[in-house]
Amino acid sequence: MIFLSHNLRAGWRAWPTALCAVTFSLFVATALLYISERKEQALLSESVTTSGWVAYQAQLEYVKTDDALKRAALRPDAEALADVGLRLEILRSRLPLLYGSEDGRMLPEIDALTPVLQRFEIVLDGMIDAMPALESGSAPKEPILKAWSSALAPLGRELQSVLMASVAYNNNLFERERSLSEQPTLVPLALLFLSGSTLIILMLTRARRDREHLRAVEAARRAVTEMERNLRGVVQAAPSAMLVVDPAERAVRFINPAAAEMVHPSLDHPDWTRLIDTSLEEVQIGDDGGMILRIAFAKSGGDVVSLRGSLCPVMWEGRPQMLMVLIDNSRTRDADLQLIQAAKLATLGEMATAIAHELNQPLAVIRMAVANAHRHLDAADAREAVAAKLDRVTTQVNRAKRIIDQVRRYGRQPSGKAATFALRPTLELAAGFVAEQYRACGIRLALQLDVPADLAILGDRDLLEHVIVNLLINARDAFEQRAMARPRTVWLRARLHDQKVLVEVEDMAGGISEEVMAHLFEPFSTTKPAGAGAGLGLSLARSVVRDMNGHIVAENMRNGACITLLLPVARTPATREAA
Amino acid sequence: MSEDQSILICDDEADLAGELGEFFSACGWRTIVHLGAPDALEALHAGAAPTCLLTDLRVGHFSGAELVAATRRLPAHLQPRVYCLMTGHVLDTSEAKDFGVDLLYVKPIDPDMVLNDIQKFLDGA
Repeated sequence: MIFLSHNLRAGWRAWPTALCAVTFSLFVATALLYISERKEQALLSESVTTSGWVAYQAQLEYVKTDDALKRAALRPDAEALADVGLRLEILRSRLPLLYGSEDGRMLPEIDALTPVLQRFEIVLDGMIDAMPALESGSAPKEPILKAWSSALAPLGRELQSVLMASVAYNNNLFERERSLSEQPTLVPLALLFLSGSTLIILMLTRARRDREHLRAVEAARRAVTEMERNLRGVVQAAPSAMLVVDPAERAVRFINPAAAEMVHPSLDHPDWTRLIDTSLEEVQIGDDGGMILRIAFAKSGGDVVSLRGSLCPVMWEGRPQMLMVLIDNSRTRDADLQLIQAAKLATLGEMATAIAHELNQPLAVIRMAVANAHRHLDAADAREAVAAKLDRVTTQVNRAKRIIDQVRRYGRQPSGKAATFALRPTLELAAGFVAEQYRACGIRLALQLDVPADLAILGDRDLLEHVIVNLLINARDAFEQRAMARPRTVWLRARLHDQKVLVEVEDMAGGISEEVMAHLFEPFSTTKPAGAGAGLGLSLARSVVRDMNGHIVAENMRNGACITLLLPVARTPATREAA
Repeated sequence: MSEDQSILICDDEADLAGELGEFFSACGWRTIVHLGAPDALEALHAGAAPTCLLTDLRVGHFSGAELVAATRRLPAHLQPRVYCLMTGHVLDTSEAKDFGVDLLYVKPIDPDMVLNDIQKFLDGA
């Protein structure tokens, strides 16, 4: 059906072309016919004229010869006889023209008359030969001349009949010419009429098509105008800031009300230039090839807003420009950060016992060292022994300080600002934070950090540390729920993979059930006992990783679960220059 | 202080174990220090028979409570007379008997108090 419809449409489109071809053919045919008829008419006129003239000349010469013979018979003087001789020769010369010339050959029945004419040529030759004797002789000339006149009479009749046949033939020719002159007039007229009709049909069809096309164009123009009006309304009413930027001149060409409210109503305000510079500097390429923006922008009033959005090339007023769409997600970002902070504090609360135990260890050493130092004070070599005890006290104080620093760093409010930072030390800090808990639980924490120490990524360092700590605590809890799982080992790995860095936390604690796996990264998804976790850890981890333009996935491997973070390697100043 | 009083100290925190050993040695006790429960248990099996067993609750994979339980299964002549347990954890309601020991302490401990408590326990026994 579709094929038929396609053919019909194709035929509908092709038939005006065919109509043009037919019209052109008709015009050519009309012209050729006209030229042909003109030529035929000219040929007929010439034929009529020349063939009739030959017959007439021959008949005229016969009459003149007969007249000369009859006049010479009445008064046979030398002048009359000379005239007879001349006429006989002229008549003799005319006869071959009747059947020997092209014009004569056009006479009707000339072929049948040719032997007769040739016989009379012989007769005329004899008369012409006899003329000298007749002029110079003394014999009576009158009977001879009358006899010659009588002998040539049949020739006269034949020539008369030829002339009459020629006239009749010419009449036929004229009739034919007349009929032809009438007939061709109708045919070319008909052809011209057909051509004209075809042309008119063609023009009407074309005009109809043009009208339809015009209507379609006008409808499309109205639709475009309407769409433009709607789009303009959408752009004007959109809560997102939309602006058209000329990146070459670092200038803003258009802003919607949301953009004016977000930055400044005047396009010439210097904040716009700063926003463009920041955006072009921080733009990132997403997985789908699009340009995405995540920037913190400080307004001239001092307020710092968190902006997210995208960039895409557009044509604006005939020039290639960039359309920038931005939303102020400061509130959402602040809420996320507060949620993350709450989750971190909850984690700290869960870890409080372990942290207390960890802190009590150095305090116990200090307490014992102080007690022993007091005993040494009474001895003779007290100075050296007490100094050794004080060194031990200092070492343990520093140990306690490191623990407190870890807690303080972990507990501080995340800034939410992205910056480049070294990945490996961050992972080591996270591992150090849970090391005592792992030791206490009899779980081995194996680090395989196959990345350069200065490998940098972009994001919030504190948040990523929180994510890793959260994953490590989840692994610890998995072992707590499956006490018999062996080996009690958790791997924290990092390695480079295709311009990205893979961070894996893998345990051997039995893995994650399919039911839980399906909702693992959703908020409030947890397998822990009530009160042991809000189920926000992995949801927040996904949010943090996404903000870093990365991915987080979970899968069961071997006899446990493996959470993998895929993070883009940050562009260092060196790589920027190389790029 | 009796010359034949001895104490077996088990703590994976080497500095603390060393300080404890130094303290009890200074007080006239014969001290045996081990950093892991398996080593301590092996020494007990071998006939160390200390007067007092002082162990940390968490000493690696083999906990202090497990060490105490294993020691209690030894023949009577190989068992210590007093069992002491230390822990870095904050204990709210736990008591010594919950861990099968005679004396329970939370780090950091006061060594003089521990010594007095042990002595009192021994005297009482």
